[in-house]
Amino acid sequence: MNALRRHRALERIWGPRPGWRGKLTTVNNNDIGLMFLALAVTYFVIGGILAMLIRAQLATPRSAFMGPDVYNQVFTMHGVIMMFLFAIPLFEGLTVYLLPKMLGTRDLAFPRLSAFGFWCYAFGGALLILALLAGIAPDGGWFMYPPLSSTLGSPGINADFWLLGITFVEISAISASAEIVVTVLLYRAPGMSLDRLPIFAWYMLVVAMMILTGFPPLILGSTLLELERAFGMPFFQADAGGDSILWQHLFWLFGHPEVYIIFLPAAGVISTVLPVMARTTLLGYGWIVAAAVSLGILSFGIWVHHMYATGIPHMGLAFFSAASTLVAVPTGVQVFAWIGTLWKGRPEMHLPMLWILAFFATFVMGGLTGVMVAVVPFDWQSHDTYFIVAHLHYVLVGGFVFPMLAGLYYWLPNFTGRRRYFKLGKTAFWLVVVGFHGTFLLLHWAGLLGMRRRIDHIEPGSGWELINLLASIGGFVMAIGFALVLIDVVVNAVVAVRGRRNPWQAGTLEWAMPAPSPSYNLASIPKVHSRNPLHDDPDLPVRIARGEGYLGDPGSGLREILTVEIASGRPNSLVIFPTNSALPIVMAFVTGGLFVGMLIKAYWLVPLSLVGVAALGIWWAWSLGSREDQDSRPVGHGLVLPPATEVERPPGWWGSLFLLLADGVFFGSLLFGYAFLWTVAPNWPPPAWLEPGLRGPLLALGGAVLALGGIRLADRALRRDGGPWLGLLLSLAGLSALGAAAVTVLTRTSHDAHAYDATLWVVAGYVVFHATVAGLMTVFLALRAAGGYLSARRVGEARVVRLWTDYAVAVALLGLGAAWLPGVPT
Amino acid sequence: MTDILRIAVPLTAWLAAFSAVYGLQGLVCSPRWAEAGFDLAAGRAAMTAAWIAAAILQVAFLLALRSPRFASRSAFVRGVSLTLAVVALVATLWTLVPVVTTSACL
Ligand code: HEM
Ligand SMILES: [Cu+2]
Repeated sequence: MNALRRHRALERIWGPRPGWRGKLTTVNNNDIGLMFLALAVTYFVIGGILAMLIRAQLATPRSAFMGPDVYNQVFTMHGVIMMFLFAIPLFEGLTVYLLPKMLGTRDLAFPRLSAFGFWCYAFGGALLILALLAGIAPDGGWFMYPPLSSTLGSPGINADFWLLGITFVEISAISASAEIVVTVLLYRAPGMSLDRLPIFAWYMLVVAMMILTGFPPLILGSTLLELERAFGMPFFQADAGGDSILWQHLFWLFGHPEVYIIFLPAAGVISTVLPVMARTTLLGYGWIVAAAVSLGILSFGIWVHHMYATGIPHMGLAFFSAASTLVAVPTGVQVFAWIGTLWKGRPEMHLPMLWILAFFATFVMGGLTGVMVAVVPFDWQSHDTYFIVAHLHYVLVGGFVFPMLAGLYYWLPNFTGRRRYFKLGKTAFWLVVVGFHGTFLLLHWAGLLGMRRRIDHIEPGSGWELINLLASIGGFVMAIGFALVLIDVVVNAVVAVRGRRNPWQAGTLEWAMPAPSPSYNLASIPKVHSRNPLHDDPDLPVRIARGEGYLGDPGSGLREILTVEIASGRPNSLVIFPTNSALPIVMAFVTGGLFVGMLIKAYWLVPLSLVGVAALGIWWAWSLGSREDQDSRPVGHGLVLPPATEVERPPGWWGSLFLLLADGVFFGSLLFGYAFLWTVAPNWPPPAWLEPGLRGPLLALGGAVLALGGIRLADRALRRDGGPWLGLLLSLAGLSALGAAAVTVLTRTSHDAHAYDATLWVVAGYVVFHATVAGLMTVFLALRAAGGYLSARRVGEARVVRLWTDYAVAVALLGLGAAWLPGVPT
Repeated sequence: MTDILRIAVPLTAWLAAFSAVYGLQGLVCSPRWAEAGFDLAAGRAAMTAAWIAAAILQVAFLLALRSPRFASRSAFVRGVSLTLAVVALVATLWTLVPVVTTSACL
């Protein structure tokens, strides 16, 4: 088969449906990635316009441009949009687009999940924009501290938009992350062992793990606050045993890692682009991996440094001050590795390099002011002043936006297939950099002079007028610069001349395919021998296109892709991917019912949507798998691989594992919240502890034994090609007993009496939910067994259900145990 | 997967220990501690013991990751995991030093 015929065949298999419907039903990583990117950039423009409104208001003293309530919405929405709707989706989009190419594979691990994530992001973001247009947007600041954000401080619907809209959007971050982790671990070109991963993939692996563990505390916090607002469950109200500091803990458990979640992808871009610009290879690959992993984990241990001003004891301050100084070390390692790379190479001053230099200058300054505010006494002085605003923008704009622009200009030829022709980019660069420093350098000074953040006007005679005027001018210069970047990109994408395939002569695989890339990315999958395959073999792209790698024969008409063993990169199974489908968008829409129902207080919509989501989920899962045992198939070069439906741990098992990791962190945060309230919240103990009695604990223990034993029995039977019926039935009975045990907790407490009761409700509700999910999965498994989808070789689905059942049992025992424990002595 | 665990576990254990000691400090300083019949000195002893236990655990990780039984077969993973185990040990010693140097509940 010649290259053109292969291309046509593959495009028919992997491409979207024609027309606008193609966009709604596509599950292809190229489409989804670009859609993410386009939407994120749109949000950057909206957030930027809001920033300009802020600067216009503060340019002159006592400006009458906006009243306080509009102003509060504007700065809150600016922060919310930039953090949640711009920064995270932007790098997600970049990763969704690039990662499969870099790893030498054809798509992400769960294509439909990417599409689902994108639509959740689109719908959730739309809710927030709707609120903004209607003038009922959140106005309590992007971190939404209660009681300001409780019904006491924000009686209207504004805060609900934040809580619900953001949670909706986070679903997309969690799905994208589960997918990125599984993709990096399993879907790579053969031969790509862990030490040959492109450095960007390492960073994204760390970032995705951080999202899986960092977002759940925030989702928990939002859930609790929304429950308080909707049903009066007093988690954050001191007079009923709640504590508003709990919100701060949950928020910053997310919020500090979030800063690194935003920074690390940018660092990944730099580690990828810098060596190419310096015409050399990255210095200290292993050290950088170690630094990225340590940053990823260390950054979780410093959340309390955002809470120095809440009156915690000195020892607590000292812990977090010490931990905060520690993060400087891996950051330093990284920066030195970059400098060393520059040193050893011959840097060329292309536009990406300029942006990297702007990053260096800005980020180092932001880091220094960061060290300053990590010192407790200084933080007490500068807390909630413009010094903090300036610091955070040095880090966020310098540490994220600038590197992303470097990446944008670096990968632009890959996106568009064109060579940059018009030279607007350099003008834009200087306007942005000068404007940025003109704005925020000055604002440090305003902060030191005592200007508080989030004030809606400045008083004449405060001494801050001139600074603010100059800062506003700087802000507008920067805005013009960003506008020019956009124009530059659009113009170059549309009218520039066609370029060469690998204009920078980079070594990674995303340059081994035509640009813009076809929807299958690689016409065949190469074998990799080093970190820079294109440097080993400059002819590789041609050989890939000629189908000389694996899976070069599109004869089966299916979306074929292969997985590898995690550490060594040895190929180990052949996966058939699902095709385009409207299911993701429909599912996201139905999921939206959950949030909209809560928002407009149409509570009947919530259970209805839940049922809808469950039904769609079952449909979704039903369409996968196979009804007969298949033989291993040749994939090229004499290699024969078993189908992924017949390995013990199929990709779906891995996906479940990482989703459950996020779920477990959610549950852990819940127990943490319970313990926190129990130890330090005022007005404890509650009027009465729940007395467990005998029935509940017996149900729970019996249920646990039945569920664990039953699913194992079923698994064993399956592997001997027998009927799993008895085991499944026992397991189902066990799960029902667990659910019933949790219900006894619900019936014996009143949800809004005290924070203790409210917490027990959430714990028990969580148990009921997981018992139900595992129960549904068990029923599903029974149906699959009846339908002939399971066999001694096809046990993967049973393994997935076993994982979820084990999890449900574990959380039931832990959660109910914790709920009953205080009542035992009485 | 074991290679990923070799890389991630020591620092994760640091995080767990660090958070646990912070939680313990909260407990020591809360009314619950006195209700249970302990005093501040007992609180400091408990925190110090936790600190030492965490440090010992980290040393154990470090040794295990060098031992032929638990070390990775990939030289790269061995290098990275040992580096990170050292980082975790240093982090444990350094971030929990306040248990013996600062006043507990002021
Ligand atoms: C494009 C240029 C930008 C300008 C001119 C700008 C301007 C501002 C100003 C003046 C404030 C102060 C609001 C106040 O405290 O009263 C602010 C707050 C904030 N900005 Fe920006 N910003 C920009 C970009 C960004 C980016 C890229 C991000 C994040 C990725 C970001 C995140 C935030 C956050 C989180 C806040 C705090 C909001 C709050 O206090 O609730 N900004 N910005
Ligand atoms: Cu922080």
